Amino acid sequence: MDDYITRIVFRYVLLFILVYGIYIVLHGHLSPGGGFAGGMILGMGMLLYFLIFGFEWKAKLRRLPLDVAIVFIGLGGIIEAVKFMLPKHGPIGAPGTLFSVGIISVVNIGIGLLVASTILSIFYLLVEEE
Amino acid sequence: MDYLWETLPFLLILVILLACFIMPLFARWKKEVAPYITLVTIVITFGISIVLAYRVAGGEVISYAVAGWPPPWGIEILIDELSAMMLVLLTASSLFIAIFSFHSLHTEIPDQATGWYYTLYLLTLAAMMGLVISNDLFNVYVMVEVVGIGACGMVVAKGEKLSTEATLRYLMLATLGSGFLLFGIGFLYQITGNLNFAYVAAELARVHDQYPFLIWATMSFFTVGMGVKAALFPMHIWLPDAHSSAPSPSSAMLSGLVVKVYIVTLIKLYFVVFGFELFTETYMRYLVLFLASGAILGGSFFAFVQLDLKRRLAYSTVAQIGYIFLGFGLGTVWGITAGLLHIIIHALMKVCLFLSAGAIYYQTGNKKVTHFSGLGYKMPIVMASFTIASLSMVGIPLFGGFITKYGLALGSLEANNPYFIILIVLSGLLNAAYYFPIIWQAYFTSGHDITMTMDAVPKTMLVPIVLMAVGIIYMGIFPGDILFFLEHFVVRFL
Amino acid sequence: MELSMLWVNYPYVISIILFSMGCLCILTQHNLIKKVIGINIMETGIFLFYVAVGNIKGGVPPIYDPNLPEGILYVNPLVDVLILTGIVVSFSVTAFALAIIVKLYYFYGTVYAPNIIRMR
Repeated sequence: MDDYITRIVFRYVLLFILVYGIYIVLHGHLSPGGGFAGGMILGMGMLLYFLIFGFEWKAKLRRLPLDVAIVFIGLGGIIEAVKFMLPKHGPIGAPGTLFSVGIISVVNIGIGLLVASTILSIFYLLVEEE
Repeated sequence: MDYLWETLPFLLILVILLACFIMPLFARWKKEVAPYITLVTIVITFGISIVLAYRVAGGEVISYAVAGWPPPWGIEILIDELSAMMLVLLTASSLFIAIFSFHSLHTEIPDQATGWYYTLYLLTLAAMMGLVISNDLFNVYVMVEVVGIGACGMVVAKGEKLSTEATLRYLMLATLGSGFLLFGIGFLYQITGNLNFAYVAAELARVHDQYPFLIWATMSFFTVGMGVKAALFPMHIWLPDAHSSAPSPSSAMLSGLVVKVYIVTLIKLYFVVFGFELFTETYMRYLVLFLASGAILGGSFFAFVQLDLKRRLAYSTVAQIGYIFLGFGLGTVWGITAGLLHIIIHALMKVCLFLSAGAIYYQTGNKKVTHFSGLGYKMPIVMASFTIASLSMVGIPLFGGFITKYGLALGSLEANNPYFIILIVLSGLLNAAYYFPIIWQAYFTSGHDITMTMDAVPKTMLVPIVLMAVGIIYMGIFPGDILFFLEHFVVRFL
Repeated sequence: MELSMLWVNYPYVISIILFSMGCLCILTQHNLIKKVIGINIMETGIFLFYVAVGNIKGGVPPIYDPNLPEGILYVNPLVDVLILTGIVVSFSVTAFALAIIVKLYYFYGTVYAPNIIRMR
């Protein structure tokens, strides 16, 4: 899109969107949200970025987000699979603080990565037909 | 090492899921390696499932609580005789189909999609194995959804007009079915407050007098929901399009394995959760019998008029699934055991038939049944396996299909319902009516209109077909071990 | 089965109405996109049913807070997990169905189902 106002405003709004998404992912065990909702917000933020800025990129650079998304899907999946191999969770701290449940925070981050990259890759595969 | 032994059931699925997650990396950058990774993964899983089957055959029922949380609070994985049998069947068949698809895949699918096809293949396999071993209602729902999406992905891989339409129809009906399934699980959770099969069964035995209509509604929701996915008679309309317009390895896996997994889950829901008395009281048994008879007759009649080979085989699947449901509709020991045995034997037969059809398409490029003249001498091994599988479908003694028809006949005698024997014999004749013309044409007429478009079928494609045919003959002559294995399972719930 | 039972259990009644409307949409609508909307309506009905199953009158969200008094009723947290999984599944199925519809549009140029059948 060639809209100046959208681009200038978006540069600042994107920062808030990303921070909010990461906040929801990390506090998944303390407030509603967790991996899925936070991952969706992160994914939508990056999606908006590519909608507004991304269509002028050269053809070779366009495959890049898809490849990164694939790698992150792999990472997210492996992190989530590893969760089941540990006997119970990792180290447990005081309830109510940020790092109180050992492996579940890492799993939330993995799920967030996975959902965000899934949304991006679906968008890319649908748009790429042209 | 001891820890490894204990978590073996879970390792089964974890290996495949890990391979499935790193496969997109290979699919994107190095797609030649993808089939080899698939093969190695399935061989490892086959080994693990054989070990588990030996442990179960020794008499123990393996129960594993995922991530260490014990049953009412956590998800439980239970491997009993039926699940172990299904695990071995799934991994063995997938191994053969994967060997077949080495060479046949690049002729049927656009070139850059082969890596992604193996991702979907492994994902569907992992979800199917998870479905047969899970003992928790919600785990069943998640796995059913993953199998549904994986199967749809495998059908649409071909990228043509017909496959895309068939996939959309399959997806819509499958989502409808899983909506019913989820609703039924919600009902069960509301009545009993647990999600584990054993706990739900115990609670249901206590409270089922208070909710007669709700239990009736729940059972019908489960029947319709899983029936749509398992292609029970009036709900089978997605099956011919989806199975005939998919690439050959997908058709084999879908028709032989995916539909069966849903039937196994339905059996577990009927017999483990609800119990056999409820099954009969709410007249579900008679509904299943009625629909099964409709499936046997209707499927055979529809198959008779099809001219496309794969469509004919797909309608034949509808009829054979009717046999399996007839098995449990009868409700006696022989009936249910024969139905379960038919799951295994039909998987072998159908995979052999679809792979042969794929090999014929690879070499001659024809799909019509009328162009088969003289094929028996030009492609001897493939046509021999096709003949063995067709004779087994009809129910000739010495092949596997005869054992199940005999078992079903014994079951209907036990249930004091001899009319079903007439049905079984009639359906055998109907099966012959659409399989024998193909074999007759292949061996006894001479062909002038066959053109070979490629060289001989590569060995990797021949080996699975021949092994499947040998398996069918073996099951026809020595069915004893597996029959008694399954009978242990049935007797526990009757 | 008096009529006041329907009035008291209104979430269940509405959930069943939504579920049937969604099923009818999938089966009878001719436009393919409306079928996908039907999938979403049906799944929304199911999630409403689950929420109604899990809700306890006068309960608070199931998050441990040291400031709340003892003996407070928490809403059933298991139901929340089931719904979350269901939402993710519904989202994936919708995305997949829309991707297939896009492909069909490229093949046939229309999303109206009887025209597609006529063109075959």
